[in-house]
Amino acid sequence: MTENEPTVIARTVVRIVVPIILVTAITLLLQGHNAPGGGFIGGVLTAVAFALIYIIYGLDYFETEILGRTALPRALPGEPVEDETQQRPGVTKEFSEVLAIGLAIAAGGGIAAIALGYPFLSQAVAFVEGIPLFHEIEVASALVFDLGVYFVVVGGLLTIVAVVGAE
Amino acid sequence: MSNVVIAPMLVALVTAILTLVTRARPRLQRTVSLFGGGGYVVAVGVLTWRVFSGPVLTYQLSGWTAPYGITLVADQLAAFMLAMSAVVTIAALAFSTDYIEAFGQQIVYHPLFHLMVVGVTGAFLTGDIFNLFVWFEVMLMPSYVLVVFYSGPDHTRAALQYTVLNLIGSAVMLLAIGGIYATTGTLNMADLAVRLSNPEAFGITVGPVVGLAALLFAVFALKAGIVPFHFWVPSAYEAAPAPVSAMLAGVTKKVGVYAIIRLLFTVFGAAQLDLGPFGDGSMLLFFGPILLVMAIASAFLGGFGAVGQSNLDRLLAYSSIAQVGFIVLPLAIVATIPLTDGGTVAVLGGEFTVPTGAGTDGLRVLGIVAALLYALNHAVAKSLLFLVSGTINAAVGTIETDELGGLTRSRPYLSGAFLIGGLSLVGIPPLMGFFGKLTVFDTAATAMATNGTVGEIAAVTALGGAILTIAYVSKAWNDAFWGTESMAVVRATAQPLALLSIVVVLALVLVVLGIGLDPVYEGAHGAASAALDRGAYIDAVGPSYAEVQS
Amino acid sequence: MMGSVLAAGGEAGAYVPAREPQFVLAVVLGLLFALGTFLVLRRDIVRVVWGITILSQAANVYLVTMGGLAGSVPFVGHGDHGATATTDPLVQALVLTAIVIGFGTTAFALVLTYRVYEEHGTIDLTEIGDTHE
Repeated sequence: MTENEPTVIARTVVRIVVPIILVTAITLLLQGHNAPGGGFIGGVLTAVAFALIYIIYGLDYFETEILGRTALPRALPGEPVEDETQQRPGVTKEFSEVLAIGLAIAAGGGIAAIALGYPFLSQAVAFVEGIPLFHEIEVASALVFDLGVYFVVVGGLLTIVAVVGAE
Repeated sequence: MSNVVIAPMLVALVTAILTLVTRARPRLQRTVSLFGGGGYVVAVGVLTWRVFSGPVLTYQLSGWTAPYGITLVADQLAAFMLAMSAVVTIAALAFSTDYIEAFGQQIVYHPLFHLMVVGVTGAFLTGDIFNLFVWFEVMLMPSYVLVVFYSGPDHTRAALQYTVLNLIGSAVMLLAIGGIYATTGTLNMADLAVRLSNPEAFGITVGPVVGLAALLFAVFALKAGIVPFHFWVPSAYEAAPAPVSAMLAGVTKKVGVYAIIRLLFTVFGAAQLDLGPFGDGSMLLFFGPILLVMAIASAFLGGFGAVGQSNLDRLLAYSSIAQVGFIVLPLAIVATIPLTDGGTVAVLGGEFTVPTGAGTDGLRVLGIVAALLYALNHAVAKSLLFLVSGTINAAVGTIETDELGGLTRSRPYLSGAFLIGGLSLVGIPPLMGFFGKLTVFDTAATAMATNGTVGEIAAVTALGGAILTIAYVSKAWNDAFWGTESMAVVRATAQPLALLSIVVVLALVLVVLGIGLDPVYEGAHGAASAALDRGAYIDAVGPSYAEVQS
Repeated sequence: MMGSVLAAGGEAGAYVPAREPQFVLAVVLGLLFALGTFLVLRRDIVRVVWGITILSQAANVYLVTMGGLAGSVPFVGHGDHGATATTDPLVQALVLTAIVIGFGTTAFALVLTYRVYEEHGTIDLTEIGDTHE
């Protein structure tokens, strides 16, 4: 890693760009039910932000610096291991959990409609008025499904990045 | 609007999610998976019962009315196919819990398996061609992973071939769907049938639709593994672990067959066009001769291929190609015969006397009944044989027939199960296969009695295919089960009792289906009538062109 | 067949799409399909994966073309901005779905390629022997 240390420029750009990407991603997610955007593209952008961190700061940075955990020493590729998961960063497990939770949210949102007596995946919208600054907020149930998709995409992509990146 | 329509899909989806969530606890995961499989069977059972005792059920997702929203249609054809796949699914699932190594199960096996079931269920139920594409993808993606990642390094190339071919197939399917939407302005199957039967009223040119339907047909033939789209079948079935092969042969292959029946007979058959030398009539007449050639080629290529194989899985895979030829043969016969009530018509140079009453209970219904009965026989028998092959692999460690021999002595139950599956493929009464073959021959004979060259060709094909079936089944039996015990068989001490019991139960199912054929035949008859009753299908979906209600 | 499909020109209705953009897209489509097919037939697995990706993207472009492009707005925005003619929104929804599916399969195909390389040390299809070939 020391030989290919990214330049200061790359590090600085990533520091600035990543928050912007994340905000854009969340904006796209929130407006997606009624305008260009949505869970998928929001998820892809979020995953891109994380991928940038991975590329520039290395695989363990996310775990050690952001989550404040000690990264367990990983087995190197080719080294004999009892279990393939030892080669992956510990956070991979959380990523695949995010995927499962996302799937559960998306499906749950659809099933909730059945529980309320509407067809599967039925959506509704409510307008909440009188909120300071915004005046009116559109609360769409489609956001729940979008949120599920968002988590599925983030979880899925980051799992791939983490697993393939580790090898 | 009844939730019972969507219940099987939801059960499978929820099970997939639950097995993903419970990954950390393998024992719990397996229990959840099996209960989910059981729930799926119950949901399919309830749906089948409701559909066969009442009208066609439909479900508008999100409450958007047809043709704007996505419609799920559970008619008798869909219910028949679902019931067939449920039997294979639960057997394959139970088999996998003991057959796939524990670590492999823990990673992603169960979620993928159930996702594949979701895709299959969706494909059977959907009434929208783009949605059909989506369900195909949902079904195929888990199958790629199951074939690739559980096959081992020796078979990477086969798995790669399977994946690449199906991905290209998906792109082609998308093209066909886009074209159909551009030319007809709809994706809803019922709406499409309405528009194709009144092309002038909707300003449609039927010509391009024939080509686009042919593209779709090629994709379905690829999924069903009909010659000349069969070349991925042997290596993929050999590469996949036994329960996955059973699913591929017993379930996903049938999705291709179902799509051919549904789209050609229910939807595209509505279009009338002038085909020059092939006659003048329904679009089915265009596909009839093509399907006939493909069916004949499948029956012979698959049969000859199977006779020459020394690996049990490969033999079964080639046999699958031959058997799918048998499934589409009656479809091809009836597709070549114009649906006119009485009178004579000229097709392929031959004079046809169409039996009176052909509209409701005639040759066409018989042909589809034959295809469905044969499909059911193949689904159960072939998945049984693949599971037997898996059990042999677990017990003896090899499925090369030259290394096996004399299994009848040490493993009588396993051999008995193989014999029942094999005999059912051959078509020995009272097994299910006998009735499948009988109706196929009946279709050919009825067509022949009306003075058709098609009937004769089909009868010869069916006869030749049947002889080849006897040849390869007896070859497998002689090499692997009879004779002196080989070293591998003598040395093998493993007794996979759980696997064996599943295999035996499935063999009993085959016997029961044959002995208690009456309700099954009724079901197939209802399903065939539903496939041809375009009016009922359209009425049930009821595409309305009024304002959308949300 | 291509010609007749284009002649049918999208949804029958009052709105008639212009021919020029569709003609350009037809040429682009031809090139994309040719390129995709060429790549799929290569021996290098990475190229095969690229070929499939290009083929599926070409199918997407084709779908959009089927919606009828003629410089009208792609969607009616928030509120009423006076837009009257819109391109068919359904094809865009279809393409979006197809893109998501294509995305998933591409990711899978690339992971698969990596696995092939790991197991066989090569990505040349002819060098990866199969037990029966």
